Amino acid sequence: MNRIFAVVAALSVAICTPAFGGNSLVQPGIQKAIARSSLSAKADGEWNRLARRDGKFVELWTRDGDSLNKVSFFGGVPIGEPLLREADKKNRPLPKVGSNMLITDIPALLESSYRIQFGANRFSVNEQEPATFGGYPGVKFSYTFINDADEVERKGEAIGAFIKDKLYLVTYEAPSIYFFDKDLSAFRSLVVSLQLEPKR
Amino acid sequence: MGAKFINAVCATAILWACCGSSALAQEKTGAKSGFTLKPGTARIVLMRPTIRVGSQSTGGMSEPNADWTAQAKEQIGKALADAQSKLGNEVVSYEEGLSGEGPITSQYGNLFSAVADSVIEYQFFPGNRLPTKKHSKEFEWGVGPGLTKLQSLKNADYALFINTQDDYGSTGRKVLQLFAAMGGISVRSGVHIGYAGLIDLKTGELVWLNADRQMGGDVRSPDGAVKRVHQLLEGFPGRAPDQLAASN
Amino acid sequence: MLSLLIAGLLGALTSGTAVPGAQASVSLPPFTVGYEPSSVDERGIWMEADERERRLRDSTLTDRDEALNRYLRDVLCRTVGQERCTGVRIYVVEMPAFNANMAPNGTMVIWSGLLLRVRSEAELAAVLAHEFAHFELRHSLHGYKQKRRASDFAAWIAVLGGLTNTNTSALQQSLLGSVFQFSREEEEAADRLGFQYLAAANYPTIAASQLWQNIMAESDATAIGHGQKPKQHYNAGFFDTHPTSLRRADYLAEESKKVGDTGRDARVENLRAAMASHLPEWLDAQIKLNDFGGTEYLLQQLAAQGGWTGELLFSRGELYRLRGNPRDIVASVQFYREALAAGYAQPMLRRNLGMSLLRSGQKNDAQAELHEYLRLMPDATDAKAIQALLIQ
Repeated sequence: MNRIFAVVAALSVAICTPAFGGNSLVQPGIQKAIARSSLSAKADGEWNRLARRDGKFVELWTRDGDSLNKVSFFGGVPIGEPLLREADKKNRPLPKVGSNMLITDIPALLESSYRIQFGANRFSVNEQEPATFGGYPGVKFSYTFINDADEVERKGEAIGAFIKDKLYLVTYEAPSIYFFDKDLSAFRSLVVSLQLEPKR
Repeated sequence: MGAKFINAVCATAILWACCGSSALAQEKTGAKSGFTLKPGTARIVLMRPTIRVGSQSTGGMSEPNADWTAQAKEQIGKALADAQSKLGNEVVSYEEGLSGEGPITSQYGNLFSAVADSVIEYQFFPGNRLPTKKHSKEFEWGVGPGLTKLQSLKNADYALFINTQDDYGSTGRKVLQLFAAMGGISVRSGVHIGYAGLIDLKTGELVWLNADRQMGGDVRSPDGAVKRVHQLLEGFPGRAPDQLAASN
Repeated sequence: MLSLLIAGLLGALTSGTAVPGAQASVSLPPFTVGYEPSSVDERGIWMEADERERRLRDSTLTDRDEALNRYLRDVLCRTVGQERCTGVRIYVVEMPAFNANMAPNGTMVIWSGLLLRVRSEAELAAVLAHEFAHFELRHSLHGYKQKRRASDFAAWIAVLGGLTNTNTSALQQSLLGSVFQFSREEEEAADRLGFQYLAAANYPTIAASQLWQNIMAESDATAIGHGQKPKQHYNAGFFDTHPTSLRRADYLAEESKKVGDTGRDARVENLRAAMASHLPEWLDAQIKLNDFGGTEYLLQQLAAQGGWTGELLFSRGELYRLRGNPRDIVASVQFYREALAAGYAQPMLRRNLGMSLLRSGQKNDAQAELHEYLRLMPDATDAKAIQALLIQ
């Protein structure tokens, strides 16, 4: 049995090696094609870009690890797609971006997605107000939630907009204790610099 | 097979691969540079253990954690008392008393787990390091200065968190079932990571973390508990080097 | 520990055998109060259950509403008897799915999703009695001992935590920390003993079977809503933790035929009154799960009992609006308006009706509703965002 175990383990490691590592450094300065989209932003300090992809349209940045601070860039989620790659497509499908959704539907889409995907039973959207996203009219909102998995209370701040029938959304989430405040201003400076590069 | 399943298989396989061999190439202890703890200088409070199920949790699937039965607690208590003399400092159990700080302390325990997870995933794990952590080579982690305000902790200098995490969910369960079907592997408590961390209560800094990726092992037996505690407290700052060698 | 000692003292004062007023055909096992864990395993599992209870007490997800907890306690005591229920502490946890479990130290956990789904006090009593039966039969201890003896996986998996139906709720959640799980045989034994309590407490015994029939119907509705074929199995899979819903509905219906107790009061109104203040919150959490079929089924069930109240109509409007297809938006407008006519007065309705009207191109009507929302809630956290909608 030990031999079989060793063989399977070795095979698994062989398959797995490419899946790990490859987190890359985000240097200060303008970053283009975020989430393989036309989104760009200016980082005022160093960030880490995670190799892990949580969905077709999302790119994750972090300073200390995504359970401690996480910036999610959703770059143009089209109508009919969910925000994230569904953990259980068959039994727990996520809500999809709908046609003629309003800006006030954006926080609701995020809330529902988190409740289903992460078991965030305590999720409350706090303030919501209009804001500009790369020059386009959008919504800025704040929220608080607790994931089922680690029961850590987290706060979130986000900005989103529908631009040419696609949803663009940038969120920042971190534990309420200590971490949220730590990198909030770095996140806000990212938001101020958000641009949509015109298509060539 | 979903991406989640593959990830779980990978995580499990890599853990098993590294722990199956005797030479543990991966870093398992981190400490703030220059941190030492002189014997007899500090009061350490042992926080209530936080037991966690992994991030892929589904439908109430978590097994009883064998580590924290009465017998395990008793044995760990004895082992800690024994280790105290080697640690050279006073270690007392956390008492909430009448402070009503149970919930907030639980929150800090959960946060500590999240921090320890990040250290393990993004600093200890060579293939997955965060570039910003890699080139700075500093051990800069913490839970913030809010702990200093807690009444129930005001008589201590350091908080010692000993947590266990079972990274285990439906996909993890399937992996284990796969091995069970192949027959004969008697892993008692599944994929099991234990870690011990020391937090400076004045600053909230994580000054020391040891991740023990010992799998299985019955902590309810006297030998198991002693071994587990000694492994978790291996490299505890301030221990005399000859005592370290003796306990291994 | 303390509760067991108290139970022991109380037990010494009572006879602790058959429940007074029991039907002749029902036989309950003799009850020994004040059980003290004697072996190392049992102490261990008790201690761990105590630790878990402490975490439940401190958890952010536990519902501390006294009235609700008192009602559940009353139903439990009514069902299993006063001397038995003193050893149990009930916790309600905010989880939007059907689940409940029992630890050997008397900690009973009920998910809010379960309270949303029981249709009568009798169905609730069936659940509480089932869980209590695990406690009475000391199931998890036997399972735990099995784990210690056996070193192979199959037996070990049998003691894994949780009471999970693998084919029901759209959402599968994990409970805090350790949960105790039983074998399929033990689940059936708990069903049968729970049934005995139900009968002895004068509830209509068909409620136990009906509960599972409703669960199956909801699961079918969920599947259809997701574009899948509904499927109910009679035989459980190798790794399944429970007999299937179908099998349980069957053998419980069989038992009910034997007792032949039609005409008993299921106390539907008692349950509705007790759950009323929580219904909005639980429905809100359920709607946000994107389970159109299952949620529609639940709303229909609730309406079948008490009619389409303003609350239920508003919820239906929410459900359709959130699914958001063009025809759904139109339907949601109708439901919101019906809710208004039925007297539903929460400002949120105006806002959400306004949003549906905007999305279906009825700008003037939308503006009227949104203005009304802002008039009723000038300091709403989304007031500025709603104002922006008005300008566009």
